[in-house]
Amino acid sequence: MENPLRRGLVEDRTGDACAVVIFGASGDLTRRKLVPALYNLAVSRSLPNGFAVVGVARREKDHATFRAEMKEGVSKHSRRKPIDPAVWSDFESAIGYVRGSFDDPQTYVDLRAHLETTDAERGTKKNRLFYLAVPPSEFGVIVKNLRDAGLVEPGSHRPRGAEAWSRVVVEKPFGDDLASARALNDVFAGTFDESQVFRIDHYLGKETVQNLLVFRFANSLFEPIWHREHVDHVQITVAEDIGVEGRGKFYEQTGVTKDIVENHLMQLLCLTAMEPPISLSADAVRDEKVKVLRSLRPMERSLVQNNVVRGQYARGFVRGEEAPGYREEPDVSPSSRVETFLAMRVFVDNWRWSGVPFYVRAGKRLARRVTEIAIQFKKVPHTLFRAPDGGISPNVLAMRIQPDEGIALRFTTKEPGQHTILRDVAMDFRYGSAFGSNTPEAYERLLLDAMRGDATLFTRHDEVEEQWAYIDRVFEAWRAEANAPPPLYTAGSWGPEQSDDLLARDGRRWRKP
Amino acid sequence: MTSGGGASSLIAWLERELREIWAAQDEPGAPPMSRVCTMNLVVVAPTPTLAERYTPVVDDVTASIPARAIVASLDPESTKTSLEGTATAVCALENGRKLCSERIVLRASGADCVRVSSAVDALLVPEIPTALVWLGRVHADDPIFEDLAQSADRVLLDSEYTSLSSLLHVTAWARAQPSSPRVADMAWTRLASWHEMVARMFDEADAMPYLERVTRVSIAQASSAGARLGPEPALLLGWLATRLGWKTSRLGGALRLKRPDGTLVSLDLGSVPRPEGVADMALARVTLVAEGFEGTVERELGTGIEGTRDADTLLWRRVLDGKTMEHRVRLGANKAAKWLERTLHRPAHDPAFDESVAFAEHLVDDGLTVS
Repeated sequence: MENPLRRGLVEDRTGDACAVVIFGASGDLTRRKLVPALYNLAVSRSLPNGFAVVGVARREKDHATFRAEMKEGVSKHSRRKPIDPAVWSDFESAIGYVRGSFDDPQTYVDLRAHLETTDAERGTKKNRLFYLAVPPSEFGVIVKNLRDAGLVEPGSHRPRGAEAWSRVVVEKPFGDDLASARALNDVFAGTFDESQVFRIDHYLGKETVQNLLVFRFANSLFEPIWHREHVDHVQITVAEDIGVEGRGKFYEQTGVTKDIVENHLMQLLCLTAMEPPISLSADAVRDEKVKVLRSLRPMERSLVQNNVVRGQYARGFVRGEEAPGYREEPDVSPSSRVETFLAMRVFVDNWRWSGVPFYVRAGKRLARRVTEIAIQFKKVPHTLFRAPDGGISPNVLAMRIQPDEGIALRFTTKEPGQHTILRDVAMDFRYGSAFGSNTPEAYERLLLDAMRGDATLFTRHDEVEEQWAYIDRVFEAWRAEANAPPPLYTAGSWGPEQSDDLLARDGRRWRKP
Repeated sequence: MTSGGGASSLIAWLERELREIWAAQDEPGAPPMSRVCTMNLVVVAPTPTLAERYTPVVDDVTASIPARAIVASLDPESTKTSLEGTATAVCALENGRKLCSERIVLRASGADCVRVSSAVDALLVPEIPTALVWLGRVHADDPIFEDLAQSADRVLLDSEYTSLSSLLHVTAWARAQPSSPRVADMAWTRLASWHEMVARMFDEADAMPYLERVTRVSIAQASSAGARLGPEPALLLGWLATRLGWKTSRLGGALRLKRPDGTLVSLDLGSVPRPEGVADMALARVTLVAEGFEGTVERELGTGIEGTRDADTLLWRRVLDGKTMEHRVRLGANKAAKWLERTLHRPAHDPAFDESVAFAEHLVDDGLTVS
């Protein structure tokens, strides 16, 4: 039964009473993202009365030390500065720490005792949100020990106010390939049911990504032209201007394909190409995304050469500063063949998108940091005007995810004067200008959703597997090429020449967003 | 600029001023200026002094909700007859860019007050929503109010600073309009924290059954004893009653509340001393009692530390089966700009508000006072 006092509450965005248990509490993610996000939720009164944060990590420290570390993290990384002493005082009293090794059953005995105290003292109602901010290699042992220690409530999705629940939030990368993703799904499936597992892709927590659904399905203007009859092609760019930033060891294991393409970029592709869901329920939205993934034309080995371009950055200049090449970065092999850039031509073989190429690219040390989805519409069928070289430019609808989140529509207009001179202009809507820039961070939204049991913005097991199934074929083809080194591109450029060729062969070119 | 040449020449002049502001070249080295406009924000004050006092509030709001703001002051009793206006850009620096709203100030005196609504109408930016903020008491037969409200999508007022009857007049008037402008009350926006905290008392499965067994509601406001029931307490009571399906009934003229199962709910209306800086009749405490349950949300009046004395904390206390839980929540600065901004951000259609106002009408009819 729902609480009748919550009926019609406009600002009803409060999590269920619970303890958030963070494994990997000494890590950067906890200090930089998770605890600042929870603090911001406290400021906006979105945390329930019964609430606690419990950090679990190997390092020896007491509650006070852990709280002091978290306070420093919040001071530096929260979007709300300075810290409000009254809110912090209340929030801090909810923070605790349990020291222990993840593979030691005693850790979980201690954790259980701590949580029982928390339930009694803070009213967390035996509800647990386990946040695994640890490498995937640790997932199995943590899940097994949680189960063995009796810390996991069985069962599936429960209405608010029902019996105690347990949920687990996992960070990417979720697996290394299809086989390992399946193995990880099996690890969780043995202890939790799917409705209890929240796989984070923090891109889905970004306001602009969520707005994609609103933009497409709350405006009658765009959906009628959102298909092959009107769309010439789609470009999706996830570009970073930074390098591996001291994460050379991690990057040597992943590369851009596993770090960005398999998850963030595929999710953007799904949200762009999906059919309208029957509702905004978690499964209705995710069903449609899975349909897109299943419609992707398989990247057979013979297709990879003509449809996939990888690259690796070499020394160059980014934003006026000299940048080292990838192989010169710390913890990177001088003969590394790991790709820091990937461009692909992808086809969604369904009724809506048949024959429309989706050009996607992601890379590090590119000319600028930008993530955008650009829908390029078809040219006018007949030119009435004396047009510049190349005819009249097609309309482009560009949705910028970051930075300067917004939507721009490019169209052609006449320059004032005696002659009919055509000129491209843009209608430019920016979130920051229209709504202010103090919007919630992705982790705030996602943590709150997990506390409320809303999995819409989290990736389902079959989505993850479909994403890997698609990407695995690309890796297979590369392996068949005896792992040839990726072509180099100059840091500060838009990737290797072959990336431009990928579109040039189709008579198109990349945008310079 | 005055309307010596007529209202139309004033409007033409204001439009020219605005064009010139945007045509002006940025100073070399200065951040580039962008004009941003997401709505028309029309504010009407019953006196020039109030308009002047409220103009910084409007500037604060348009820094986060870029708009064409039109602040109009009325002085109908003045012996002087004039309509004056100025136009300016109000800019906020955002990521190295100046994002600018437009602010037009109109001052109407004497007989020229009747020109205000048509002047405002001519100055509205088309194709974007218009919100009318009416700062004075509302009289639905006032043609200035009626004309402006009819061209607005939303009409906002603050019943705490006008009156509950003003709110009831506006909602009654809006219901009768074919265009059905939405009405919002900043006092209702301020109650959002109270709604949340009261709802929290019953979120858990073991607490929820008590909601159907409430036998007593106590509400206190910051005022002297004998004062009439204020808008915030009345709206909160309306919210509780309409959420829980309570009906009103009378016995010997006295108001009684009845649960859906027919059981009576006793109602205590009290007062607490009002510290300096706290609005008269502001909601101070609500307590719900059932057998084995007592839940209270209490505003710790005058504990503010954020520059305004009434940036208080709310104390949440619940006794459930003998076990007490307490929690404090900071309300934050009680600034007019914050409440206007939040009200503008809320959905225009809020059925809970409409139902609570309808319930509050019964309370006004009863002329309830606090002890």
